[in-house]
Amino acid sequence: MVAALWRVNVAEELQYRANLVASVLGTLFNMATALLTLALFFRHASRLGGWDYWEVVVLLGVFNTLSGVVEAILRPGIGQLAGEVRSGSLDLVLARPVDAQAFVSFRRLDIWRLSDVVLGLGLTGYALWRLGSVPPILALIAFAVALAAACVVVYAIWVALMSLAFWFVSVENLSVLFDAVYAGARYPVSAYPGALRFLFVYLIPIAWTTTVPASALTGRLGPETAFGAAIVGIVAFLLARLVWRAALKKYTGASG
Amino acid sequence: MSGAGAWARRYWALMRNAWLVDFQYRAAIALWLLWGMMEPAIALGIWWGVAGTGDVAGYGRADFARYFFAVMLVNQLTIAWDSWYLDRWIRNGELNFRLARPLNPVHEALADNLAYKARSAGFLIVLWLVVAAVWPPVRLPFDPARWALTAVAVALAAGMRFFISYATGLTAFWTTRATAIMELHAGLSLFLAGRIAPLALLPPAVAGVAGVLWFSSMLAFPVNLLTGAVQSTEALLRGFAGQVVWLAFWFAAYRLAWSRGLRKYGAVGG
Repeated sequence: MVAALWRVNVAEELQYRANLVASVLGTLFNMATALLTLALFFRHASRLGGWDYWEVVVLLGVFNTLSGVVEAILRPGIGQLAGEVRSGSLDLVLARPVDAQAFVSFRRLDIWRLSDVVLGLGLTGYALWRLGSVPPILALIAFAVALAAACVVVYAIWVALMSLAFWFVSVENLSVLFDAVYAGARYPVSAYPGALRFLFVYLIPIAWTTTVPASALTGRLGPETAFGAAIVGIVAFLLARLVWRAALKKYTGASG
Repeated sequence: MSGAGAWARRYWALMRNAWLVDFQYRAAIALWLLWGMMEPAIALGIWWGVAGTGDVAGYGRADFARYFFAVMLVNQLTIAWDSWYLDRWIRNGELNFRLARPLNPVHEALADNLAYKARSAGFLIVLWLVVAAVWPPVRLPFDPARWALTAVAVALAAGMRFFISYATGLTAFWTTRATAIMELHAGLSLFLAGRIAPLALLPPAVAGVAGVLWFSSMLAFPVNLLTGAVQSTEALLRGFAGQVVWLAFWFAAYRLAWSRGLRKYGAVGG
């Protein structure tokens, strides 16, 4: 089903090649801003949370990759949920004979935003080259697993965030809130003081999305990290499913 | 059942309803405040680590804490968001029925802006007081004269940012990529307005540009005034002068964009 939906999207989107240029320019601008911010921090410090400049750039590349996934799949999919709950059009979605969560989550593919994924991985690769580091095959596998788990964690955060719309109907701009909070994932979690570190590891687990994959790639964490990441990913998915179910029950129950 | 019991139940229902509506409303405001607090909180977190037990260009941990709390407050009091919906209105034709109204839409926008700030400012000030009670670094010396001056600077900055937002939104009359202009401005102001770091930490040339243009007037000056980083009368006068000049500039830019833009909009039959 997802493939069918995406085929239609991609066919539409391919007609708007200007969007690719705009998307790429936008991403490059954001990357430039992020690198300049990093340069500013490193103007006054030689390490950030124990990470040196190019290590943090590796992490920044991972951040951009995940942002690409968010913009290409999550925001156009589940990101629309809050607005639909408010306008009532969610009922149309729920009437379909498919699993609502799967449909809502993956109904759209903004294919041009996948350029962020390419650019992000490119930045990571470049930073690794500047570090003079060639990750061993185990580290690459661990990275891939951690990155996949990171996608699931980010997805789970979106589900939890959007589910707020079922209880607080007037909160339309939840997706903007995600951007603000997720910006914390641009830096290694060790760069933050205790309170923020706790927030980003346990409460809004964005540390797992960028710090862990980047650490696996640069060898800061061993390949066994992949197991931890996989577990976190699975737990996150299950929690997201639970939250979705509870929210849906409330929604359909209220209107009767 | 007696009349009194029925009335009691009605009032209970009405009050509960009012509370729920109010609650939704407050939840929305709380989320916007949370959104506004994240960027300064993250920046503070990083600089806190960088400063360590020493300082960075004269800023120690406590100085950073005071600076970024001031940024949170001043940003909430000066923020404007009109560029986004103006761009949308112009592109999808929603501007038309608003033009038919007797009052220029800018008045409603300004009123809405002020109302939001009135609501959220109180909350933030209370939050600062609570945090200051338990966390010494963010405490400010009791200085009503300075606070009064800050209020003036905040008002000037708020006016300026309102017209910047409005004018950049109106560029949608001429381009479909008005949001790109807004993003460019936001990206520049991240550094030049002092959102990511106090201007003293920027390379001197960059900080100079911020001072010459409107960026330092829109956030950094009121923030530095509040935290006490602006001390001399000369710096004070220079700051206020800059604010007045740039407020006038952006007001003129708005007027120009509005009159020229409407002419163009009307010509196309919009």
